[in-house]
Amino acid sequence: MTPGRSAADRVRHDRTGRAAALYLAPITVFYLLFLVLPYGLVLRMSFYRFSATTMYVPGFTLANYAAITTDPFYLTLLGRTLWLGFLVTVLCLLLGYPLALKISRSGQRTKTILLVLTLSPLLINLIVRSYAWLVLMGENGVINQRLLDLGVIAAPLPINNNMISVTVGLVHISLPLMVISLVSVLDRIDPRLTEAAESLGAAPGRIIGRILLPLSLPGIAAGATLVFCFTISAFITPALLGGNRVSTLSTMIYSKFIAALNWPVGATLVCILTVVTLLVVQLHTRLFRER
Amino acid sequence: MLRLVDALAWLVILFLMAPLIIIVGGSFTVTPYVAFPPVGFTLRWYDQLMHRQDFLDAFLTSLAIAVLTTCIGLVLGTLAAMGMHRHAFPGKQAVEGFLASPLILPTLVSGIALLQLYYYIDLNAALIGLVIGHVLITVPYVIRTVGAGLLGLDPALEEAASSLGAGPMRILWRVILPAISPSIVASSIFVFIMSFDQATVSIFLATPDVVPLPVRIYTYIDLAIDPMIAAVSTLMIGFSFILVAVLQKLIGLEAAFGG
Repeated sequence: MTPGRSAADRVRHDRTGRAAALYLAPITVFYLLFLVLPYGLVLRMSFYRFSATTMYVPGFTLANYAAITTDPFYLTLLGRTLWLGFLVTVLCLLLGYPLALKISRSGQRTKTILLVLTLSPLLINLIVRSYAWLVLMGENGVINQRLLDLGVIAAPLPINNNMISVTVGLVHISLPLMVISLVSVLDRIDPRLTEAAESLGAAPGRIIGRILLPLSLPGIAAGATLVFCFTISAFITPALLGGNRVSTLSTMIYSKFIAALNWPVGATLVCILTVVTLLVVQLHTRLFRER
Repeated sequence: MLRLVDALAWLVILFLMAPLIIIVGGSFTVTPYVAFPPVGFTLRWYDQLMHRQDFLDAFLTSLAIAVLTTCIGLVLGTLAAMGMHRHAFPGKQAVEGFLASPLILPTLVSGIALLQLYYYIDLNAALIGLVIGHVLITVPYVIRTVGAGLLGLDPALEEAASSLGAGPMRILWRVILPAISPSIVASSIFVFIMSFDQATVSIFLATPDVVPLPVRIYTYIDLAIDPMIAAVSTLMIGFSFILVAVLQKLIGLEAAFGG
């Protein structure tokens, strides 16, 4: 059972790709109808003009793009969204790395327990998780109540409905994804490398800085890409934890489509968000996949 | 240094578990707000929940969507995985990227794009619309998981069946599908949970008549944060954990995800 033989065997099944096309036909039709077509419609809407009476006027104008990229309001919004993405990514990295290191260095039993604990938040839906932080960080929330009761603070800390609560909620959501990315590369590092460094007298800090960090760079990049893209398009957490006071690209898109009913501008924001996401993914592919 | 890493790791675990602990604990409090540690012990919030017809309806809606999503996604995804992993054809890498694209594209954007489509074709069937949205964002996971199962398949099995005179359909039903059943079960459970918990796409595609459970919770939180939401959340968390435990019991988590 050599790998070469099994690969040859698979190829032998179908040289022309006709059978493959048959298998792939249903999913292709599904994607064309419900992915390509809808995205095309949004793209087209971004070229329409807004009208207060009929909502949109068909046509082709770049006015929406011009307006958004020059209006300080939208530029601030875009800047805030990207900053949030950056902040959450860095925090996930700082918090995730020690945990990933611990997981990859643990024995089988501890490792399983830690992995289950790390991944279990993924089983809780986004709304419930945001709700939990609402309960914890609200003005009369658990944290503020405790601290007030203990006399540590005189007035509730301003940790709800602002960037702090949104950041905490987003970090909590993305952290498991980051840890998994990191564990998968850390697991592949030959333990003899660190053992050798240790026996040659390298301090743990030096081992982390000179061996583990450089070798886990692909995992860091993959995790960072994932977390950044996820964060800039996150909607539920900023909407619930920002309490209408922290607007991001996503919450603005929501209000343009659902509340303000300005589809052309909403669609333009959607296209900008999509392009930014694709650029980040493309950058990551260029830098790390082709090696 | 290593001690520091250890201590940090446990703190991070505590941070990750905090919402779970608060919610499950808080659902039993006697206070009219979620207190932690909970004050006393009561099942009152669960009782109140059981008398909320809107929440029961939302639960059934989510259940129906998740079952339909799983069935459709399984068929589409398994077929696609067979096309991808058992055949060589030009442009395969591009097709692979195309099939995985719903994972890269923002979920929010997919929700809005479908909303636009439904507006143009005037779709008056929110349930179908929701199922389509859920299939779109979960089917890449089926393709990936079933694909991993197919890659691990021993070609000798098929050769043996073929040399014994079995036709392609018979080989598919009697050899290939049984052999990859662990990945099929794993992706079903995975897709079911993702669909049941899905909120972002659902918020855009739900209508006042068809409200999945996460959307019902979302609209409720806007008005009040009482322990009843902690109770429904606890039930949802328990539901997901039971499904994962079943998966672990049936085939083991490592085997399920090709680990």
